[in-house]
Amino acid sequence: MPAAGSITPLVAGLWLLNVVLDTGGQLAFKAAAGDEDAGDGLARWKHMAARPWLWLGIGCYVVEFLVWIAFLSLIPLSEGVLLGSINIVAIMVAGRFLFGEQLTRLRVAGILLVTLGVAIVGAGG
Amino acid sequence: MRRFYLVGFLLLMGFDTLAQVSFKYAGTRALPMTADMAWLLRVFGAPWIYGAIAGYVGAFFTWMCLLKHAPIGPAFAASHLEVVSVMLLSVWLFGEQLTLPRVLGALAIVAGIVCLGLAEGREQAPDAGAGPTPAG
Repeated sequence: MPAAGSITPLVAGLWLLNVVLDTGGQLAFKAAAGDEDAGDGLARWKHMAARPWLWLGIGCYVVEFLVWIAFLSLIPLSEGVLLGSINIVAIMVAGRFLFGEQLTRLRVAGILLVTLGVAIVGAGG
Repeated sequence: MRRFYLVGFLLLMGFDTLAQVSFKYAGTRALPMTADMAWLLRVFGAPWIYGAIAGYVGAFFTWMCLLKHAPIGPAFAASHLEVVSVMLLSVWLFGEQLTLPRVLGALAIVAGIVCLGLAEGREQAPDAGAGPTPAG
């Protein structure tokens, strides 16, 4: 995909970092919440707080927050939010590979459409 | 109950939109973007960043409240359709242009989100082809 318009290497790098952090954060929270040994109520929170997943998720989100501000300061907002939609796809694909979540035909269609949309915006500005 | 969903979805979109617009203002006001403390101080020294945080917190609680009552499919779609409201607002607030690639891209993304929302909604229903396959 050729970098066109406002997408400089720095913008592309921040965009990639945002995808990695968002997906990493979501998956870390999923791993924290899906731990079957965690129990219930306060014990569950104590269990999660004693393990790295919850903190990894929070860390990812804090850094992502700053990366997103930096990203948006360099490109038009309308372009930024459209390019950011790729996070939806990344999380679903990662969920499929790491947690064996099913990708039905409708989901695959959705993933392809969102990816196509992001590619159009990325290529054309 | 329909009215409850509608207000909830609109509220969710509103909070998400507030967050994105505030992010843009926070970033623009803090330019030049540098990976240092001075940039962080510029970001957190202006009020916009707190608008973004308020938007996130509001969206989080609206989402949690909606999930208790509303079907997951439309809730999923509503939580991502702020791309449309943000796009329209950025024309008005920041003088951005609705270029053809942006409009076409947005249409494909919205169609994709609707598909994913429908897929989420059907998740509870029995699925003949369920289960992971090696080819994905």
